[in-house]
Amino acid sequence: MDDKRTRFEALVLPHLDAAHRLARWLCRSPGDADDIVQEAFMRAYRAFDSLRGADARPWLLAIVRNCHLSALAEGRRRAYEPLTEEHEAQQSVAAAAAAPDPESASIERDERRTLARLIAALPEDQREVLLLREMEDMSYREIAAVAQVPIGTVMSRLARARAALKALWPEMQGEPRAVR
Amino acid sequence: MQCAESLRVQAVFDGELDAVSAAAVERHAEHCPECQALREHLKETRARIRRDLDYGHASPELRGRIARMLDAEQAAERRAARPPVRPAWRARPFWLGTLTGAGAALAASLAAVLLAPLLPAALPDQLVAAHLRSLAPGQLTAVISTDRHTVKPWFAGRTDVSPVVADFGPQGYRLVGGRADNLDHQRIAVLVYEHGAHVINVFTFLPGREALPAERSRLGFHIVCWRGGDLGYCAVSDAGWEELASLRQLLLGEAVRDAR
Repeated sequence: MDDKRTRFEALVLPHLDAAHRLARWLCRSPGDADDIVQEAFMRAYRAFDSLRGADARPWLLAIVRNCHLSALAEGRRRAYEPLTEEHEAQQSVAAAAAAPDPESASIERDERRTLARLIAALPEDQREVLLLREMEDMSYREIAAVAQVPIGTVMSRLARARAALKALWPEMQGEPRAVR
Repeated sequence: MQCAESLRVQAVFDGELDAVSAAAVERHAEHCPECQALREHLKETRARIRRDLDYGHASPELRGRIARMLDAEQAAERRAARPPVRPAWRARPFWLGTLTGAGAALAASLAAVLLAPLLPAALPDQLVAAHLRSLAPGQLTAVISTDRHTVKPWFAGRTDVSPVVADFGPQGYRLVGGRADNLDHQRIAVLVYEHGAHVINVFTFLPGREALPAERSRLGFHIVCWRGGDLGYCAVSDAGWEELASLRQLLLGEAVRDAR
């Protein structure tokens, strides 16, 4: 029993930050993200025996994602909220890029916010694979396990997410490009 | 407009192609301005995201909440480790009658089970074991009420599903209450009906992908399972097949009304 907790803390707890990041980017509200992460860790602990030596991170992140989806379904039952269609999402990407930031203290800060807004405005399935790839540095196979889609789908979503950012790249350049 | 190799260029960039394939893609890219531009863009996107995006950390509060949650889970497992009231019941320890009314009693009745290293029992065996256990004195209901507005809210926080709750007294199926139970890693909801002299337990849970068992009997008890919406239901009783089928129809009708 204590052994289970010890193994859980050694294998799963190190991925708390990754779980939290994914939840933050999926549901966008920090309070909701914490609830989702806590729920996910409870489910993970209860199902820990089913892990059986597999890599804990994609396993945990898949649970986080499922918790997010159940919370979403629960919320929809209470207050119906239409899904964002892809073209609307693209429009909101454009709007996010164009929106002036009233508090732009420094360009760097401004750029960070713009980048965050652009990514937040991507359709969820694209945002998810992009963040797992770039922030968590996961392989296609691991991403496929988290998102529960085939690897080919991971590749095309990733390409679409990156292309969507590219389309808006110039607009988010406050200064000549320094990144190379 | 998009070069056919673009996904492979991306795969090379992401380190997903073996050296031989990667070299082939490189040879192509040497002569393809579009793929060269794509490669630059991929580098830039990655640099920008890794430089500018807030990586963030879980707050100390969240870490604290998780630690407390683990404490509680562990404590529940320890309580469950006490010998069950009826140890003779070997038929897959995954179940035990649960939550008998008052707080302290609750712990003792929690499954022995979470611990035991077990082969998962076939669902029908688990259901009949749970049904039998529920018939032991004081085990049947944790919330006693014929009022759906009392029974349904009781499940919130105690189970992982929110079952359809309805009293069918006029049709001969009187709702007497409910309880929480454990099935695999789920905290499932159980509704208890009386039909004449028969007790019917209706187990509500999140089903896996596999098919639910067909109608069958175990140890003389009848089991009828069905899906309604995203939930799975299994009614277990010594009542007759027709009587269970009628209750299924009533509950399915209620689920349809509820789902609107």
